Amino acid sequence: MKKSQIVMFVMLLAVIPATLLLGMRLPGRSYYLLSAVVALEILVPFFMAFEGRRPRPRELVTVAVMAALVTIARVAVPLPSFKPTFAVIMLAGIAFGPETGFIVGALGALGSDFFYGQGPFTPWQMMAYGMAGVLSGLGFAEGRLARKNWVMGVYCFVCTVLFIGPLLDTSTVTIIATKFTWENMLPIYLSGFPVNVMQGLCSFITLFFFGNAILEKLERVKTQYGMMESEDGI
Amino acid sequence: MKKEENDAFSQCHPAVGFFFFVGAIGLGAMILHPLYILASGLFAVTYYCLLRGTRGLKTVALSVPVFLLLTFANPLVNHDGQRVLTYVFGRPYTYEALVYGMAIAGMLIVMLLWAGCYNAVMTSDKFMTLFGGVIPTISLLLLMVLRLVPNMIRKVAQLAGARKCIGRGAADNATKKEKALDSLNVLSALMTWALEGGVITADSMKARGYGTEKRSSFRMQKMKSSDIILLSVMAVLAAAIVRLIAGGGTAADYTPIMRITPVTGEHLAGFAAYCVFLSLPTVLYIKEAVQWRISRSGI
Repeated sequence: MKKSQIVMFVMLLAVIPATLLLGMRLPGRSYYLLSAVVALEILVPFFMAFEGRRPRPRELVTVAVMAALVTIARVAVPLPSFKPTFAVIMLAGIAFGPETGFIVGALGALGSDFFYGQGPFTPWQMMAYGMAGVLSGLGFAEGRLARKNWVMGVYCFVCTVLFIGPLLDTSTVTIIATKFTWENMLPIYLSGFPVNVMQGLCSFITLFFFGNAILEKLERVKTQYGMMESEDGI
Repeated sequence: MKKEENDAFSQCHPAVGFFFFVGAIGLGAMILHPLYILASGLFAVTYYCLLRGTRGLKTVALSVPVFLLLTFANPLVNHDGQRVLTYVFGRPYTYEALVYGMAIAGMLIVMLLWAGCYNAVMTSDKFMTLFGGVIPTISLLLLMVLRLVPNMIRKVAQLAGARKCIGRGAADNATKKEKALDSLNVLSALMTWALEGGVITADSMKARGYGTEKRSSFRMQKMKSSDIILLSVMAVLAAAIVRLIAGGGTAADYTPIMRITPVTGEHLAGFAAYCVFLSLPTVLYIKEAVQWRISRSGI
């Protein structure tokens, strides 16, 4: 078993439950702190796996370009809450697999917060964006789902609305909710819902019209320059 | 920018700044006691304004409506409490929930202000210095992302301009659909350009020996003895505060029954530790300013 996989198991089975147990005994609004720490703990095994792989320069640059595009996707489209952020992350996940997808998402979130301002939501955002990459990577790995535009679009829409969006709303809940009852949390999730649908719709449109065109670009660069291979194609 | 460069605390080793902000935000998240939130708020506002000048005051003023909104919204969803002030939509609007809302809103604003200070003090190069040793590849990636983004923003403008020139871009009065499709087209072109450019960067990195030696960082900063002293002082203070929190010295319940631990006797020391911890950047700033005055008047 790889070192990063061992770390992943230790994190999931020991460290995170321990954090939660310890956190329950802390007073005040420690659930915010707790959730942020757990979000960071989820990042650790992914980062370790990436570090341990000692990626080649060409892979590094490609990942950096994709992560920068995540930020650009937030800047370049002039319509509010209609940003193809998740589409970019998911395409990276589909093209390069779940692990790289996670790195692209997490790094994209951290990087864009350097421009939009870091906040208490940054660890959550890194985790949620990273998960978007993992989800798409897992869904389309080894031909599980057909890489057709509409399949990718629908998958991305469903993931955004049902998983990534609510995950981000949960960070809002841990920051501003005063009581963890459904009655109290529902308004926050409901107010987040239209935004999530818009985001999902934007991802759908991006993938529906450009999905395979962009994937082809990534694949072309991959084969033309031998990127993401274990040895550089030089 | 000038103000931030003059700040003594920003000149310290990145570890000092990082430890301070993790402490200020982390400890702040565990304490719901109104007096502590007020103290943290005062220091956050002072330091934020020292860093940002009049622009900082504007941000602070803008956070007041957010504070009021969150305060008055809480009793609408939280109906616990003893003293009913009025009924809204047939539900009780209680005094306790109002005060609770005030505490939560205050805590949120204070956290955001500290995050604002963090953004000014912990610039990306410091972040890189700090984490370059622990996660070198991820830090390098982050560095590349931070460099690529402004570069890409310029390219987006060029691409959009070129499309407009040949009559393919979205007009100013275009529909939302046209605008969205146009920007996606630009994004797609940008992607090709960026990926191709990336290959050149990668080859250049390889040619100059990336991965053969441990990476050095842009900031050549060594831990000075003053940094070590500052770190140890902060660690001692933080430990005292954590002990106070664990002992229930900062406990404050609002709903259903308001129970706020008074800050007296032994708790006073903990409160003082909290204030000293949070005042460190401001104190350093003022000390530097006073020293500068004195040394200038000596000429």
